[in-house]
Amino acid sequence: MSNAAPVLAAQGLVKRFFGNPVLKDVSIEIVPGRVHALLGENGAGKSTLVNLLSGVLSPDEGRLLVDGQPCARLTPALARRHGIAVVQQELSLAPHLSVVENVALGAVPTRRGLIDYRRLAVEVGRVLDRLGLDVALDQPVEELPLGRRQLVEIAKALYRQPRVLILDEPTSSLTAHEVQALFKVLAELKREGTALVYISHRMNEIMHLCDWVTVLKDGTRTADRTMDGIDPPALVRLMVGREPGDLFPPFRSTTRDEPALEARALTAPGVGGVDLVVRQGEVLGIGGLLGQGQEELLLALYGALDAQAERLATGGVDRPSRNPADAIGRGLAYVPADRKREAVLLPLSIGFNLTLPGLRRLARRGLRRFAREAEVARELTAKLNVRGGGPERAVQLLSGGNQQKVALARWLPLSPKVLLLNDPTRGVDVDTKREIYLRLKGMAAGGMAVILLSSDALELVHLCDRVLVFRDGRIAADLPHGQASEEAIVAASLGVARQEAA
Amino acid sequence: MRQVPSGAALHARLIWRRNRGQIGLFVLLALLLALYAFLHPGLLSWAGIARFTQNWFPVALVAIAQTLVMLMGGIDLAIGATVGLGTVLAATLVGESALGAGLGITATVAIGVAAGGLVGTIVALFGLPAIIVTLASSFLIGGAALLVMPRPGGSMPGWLSEGLVGVHPTALLILILILVAWRVLRATPLGLSIDAAGDNPAGAFRSGVNVALARIAAYAISGGLAAFAGVYVAAQTGAGDPLIGNPLTLQSITAAVLGGVGFLGGQGTIRGAVAGSLLLAVLVNVMFFLGLPPVAQYVMQGLIIVAAMGIKRLRERAA
Repeated sequence: MSNAAPVLAAQGLVKRFFGNPVLKDVSIEIVPGRVHALLGENGAGKSTLVNLLSGVLSPDEGRLLVDGQPCARLTPALARRHGIAVVQQELSLAPHLSVVENVALGAVPTRRGLIDYRRLAVEVGRVLDRLGLDVALDQPVEELPLGRRQLVEIAKALYRQPRVLILDEPTSSLTAHEVQALFKVLAELKREGTALVYISHRMNEIMHLCDWVTVLKDGTRTADRTMDGIDPPALVRLMVGREPGDLFPPFRSTTRDEPALEARALTAPGVGGVDLVVRQGEVLGIGGLLGQGQEELLLALYGALDAQAERLATGGVDRPSRNPADAIGRGLAYVPADRKREAVLLPLSIGFNLTLPGLRRLARRGLRRFAREAEVARELTAKLNVRGGGPERAVQLLSGGNQQKVALARWLPLSPKVLLLNDPTRGVDVDTKREIYLRLKGMAAGGMAVILLSSDALELVHLCDRVLVFRDGRIAADLPHGQASEEAIVAASLGVARQEAA
Repeated sequence: MRQVPSGAALHARLIWRRNRGQIGLFVLLALLLALYAFLHPGLLSWAGIARFTQNWFPVALVAIAQTLVMLMGGIDLAIGATVGLGTVLAATLVGESALGAGLGITATVAIGVAAGGLVGTIVALFGLPAIIVTLASSFLIGGAALLVMPRPGGSMPGWLSEGLVGVHPTALLILILILVAWRVLRATPLGLSIDAAGDNPAGAFRSGVNVALARIAAYAISGGLAAFAGVYVAAQTGAGDPLIGNPLTLQSITAAVLGGVGFLGGQGTIRGAVAGSLLLAVLVNVMFFLGLPPVAQYVMQGLIIVAAMGIKRLRERAA
C-alpha cells in the first residue's frame, strides 16, 4: 500500500519567521491509503508544516508536488481544488448557522441558482450518519456541545470528499464513544484510498491508527519511518534531545526553607485540584502541552480567574486573590505571554511603562514626583539592560526581547514575593533569552519565588528547581531538578510511561 | 439511519429556526400594537393602516439597510445621506427629466447600489474600519446631494405620489415584496455567504466563501434600499430635500439593534430589522397618544439601544 505514488509531497522545505528558521529542510510524502502521523514537541514546526501543505503559508525554499507535479504557488483555494482538506484545531464554523449550512458552506449544491436543499439534506445527512453524529440538520451549531462541533468540523472536511485529509488534534474534545466512531470512518477512508495525516499528542491513538510517522524536532525531521516495530518511548526519544549550547547559566539552587506560596486543592476553570508549594528563592517550572491548565493556574493565582481552594496562602493571607489588584497587594506579580496586549502600553514611553505599577508608591500626597520616577526608570533600564534608547522612547520602538524586559522590570519597584511568568521568552532572540535567564535566577537568589510557565522543555530542565508537568488541568508529574530531563517532561506531557532502563 | 427530509421541509425548518431569540421581540410588538390600536381605534381601517405603514416604511427600509451592514460587523453612518441623495435624484430624474418614472426610479436605486458597493469595496478590500469609511462617505454622498439640489425642490408626478402614499397600503405591499426577495436571495449561495461572512468571517474564508464579495454585496444592497427609501420620501413630500434623511441614520441603528443585530456583527435577521423598526414606529405613536412631548422620543431611543444591548448581553452570559 505504501508503494503507491504520493498525492502530495514536499521536498526540502525551509520556512523562516522574521529570520528565525522554524522549518529546516523538511521533506514529507503523503501517500494514498496510509495514515501518516506527524509528531513533535510544542514549537517543533508541525503547524507550520501543515500550513505549508495546505497553502496557507508559502515556503521560503523547497517545493511542493501534487500528484508528482511541482506546484509553484499553492493557495488555500488551490489546495481545496486539489482535494486537500484540513481539520484545524480552531473551529471554522459559523455559530448561528445550522449544521447543514455549515457542513456545506463554500461548496453548496445549487439548482437554477438556488441552494438545492434536497441534495443538501441527502448528502450532508450521509456524512453525518457516517460519523455517527446524531444531530438535527437544521440545528444551529452554537447549540451543540464542543465535541459535537468538532465532529461537524470533520463532517465539513469529509463532505468535500478530500484526497488528502489533514487532522490537527481532532480528538481533543471528543468523548471516547465519538473517538471510536471517528476512527471507524478514518479506517474506511484509508481503505478507500484517502491519504490521511494525523497530528495528535495522544500516543495510544498514534499507535492504534497510524502506519507511518514523521517526527519533527526543532524544525528538522528526525524520523520518517514505518510505525512497525516502534514503541512510544522510542517515539519520545526521537522528539527530544536538542542541544542547549551555552544558553543557560550553570544551575545553582537558591531555595530557602520558608514557603512563599502554598495552595491546596486549587480549582479554577481549566484547573482541577492542584496542590503546590513554592519556597522563597525557588524557581518552580510549569510544563506540559499547550492548554492543559497551566496558564489558567497562573491566572487563578493572580486573581484574574475565579478560583476556589482549601488553602491558598501567600503574603500572610489564606484565601484566593479577589482580583489582580488584590494579588499585587499580596506580593504577586504576573508577566503575561502576550506582552503587547496585556502588559506594556506600546505607544507610551519606556519610563512611564516602568513606573506605572509602582506609580502610587512613588507619589507624595497624591502628586507624581517626576524626578523620582525618572530616577527609578533609569535604575531599572540599567538593571535589566534594556537596549533601544532612553526612558523617553516609546516601548513599541523596542525589539520583542527588550519589550519583555520592560514587562518584567516594571514589577521590581513593588518587590514582589512571587513572580508568575507566562512563557517569558516566546519570540525572544537568543541573547535576550540569556539575559532574561540570568536576571530570573538573580531575582530568585534575592529570595523571590519564581513560577515559570514555559512551552520550551529545555528552559524547565536547566532553570528550575522543580518542574510540575500538567495534563488535563492536573499535575501529572512533579520532577525535581536532575530528574526533570527533556525526555521525562515530554513523556509525562504525553502520558507515556517511561522505561527507566531505556 | 436518519429520515431525510424533503428539500422544501428542510428549507422551511431552517427559516423557522432563524426566529429563535426573536420570539420575545414579536410578543412585545404584538402587545404594543394592541395597545396602540386600543389608544387609537382608527388604526384598524384601510386608511389607518395605510397612514401608519407609510410613516413606518422608510424606517423599515433603512433598518434593513443598516442590518445588512451591521451583520458584516460594520456600521453605516451614510444611510441618512443616501436617503437624502435618493430624494433629490428622484425629484430630478423622475419628476423633471425625460426618463419617466420607471427609468428614473431604477437609475436612483442603481446609484444607491453603486455608492454602497463602492463603500463596501473600500471596507472589504482595504480593511478600513466601516465607521470611518461610512463617516467619510456620508459627507461625500451628502455633498453630492447638495450639489444636485442645494435647497429642497424638484417635484414628483402626482399619480406616483398618489400611488405610493395615497389611501391604500402600497407601502406594506412593497415591504412584503422586499422580504420575499430577501428570502429568495438567502436561498442562494450568495445569501448564505452574506450570513456566514457576518457570523464568522475567518471561518467562512477558510471554508472557501468569497467573504469580500459577500461584504460588497451586503453594502450594495444596503445602498440600494436607502436610495429607494429616498424615492419614497420624495413621493411623500412631493419634492427632493438633501437633508431630510439625516435623522434616519440613528433611527436605522436603533431599529437594527432592537431587531437583534449587535455592534460586533452576526446574528441579525432581516425580519428582525423590520420588527425592530415597527417597534420603534409604534412606540413613537403610542408615546404621542399618551401625551408625552416629542423630545421624549430621543430619550427613549437612547434608553432602547442600551436596554436592547444589555438584555442581549445578559442572555449571552446566562447561556
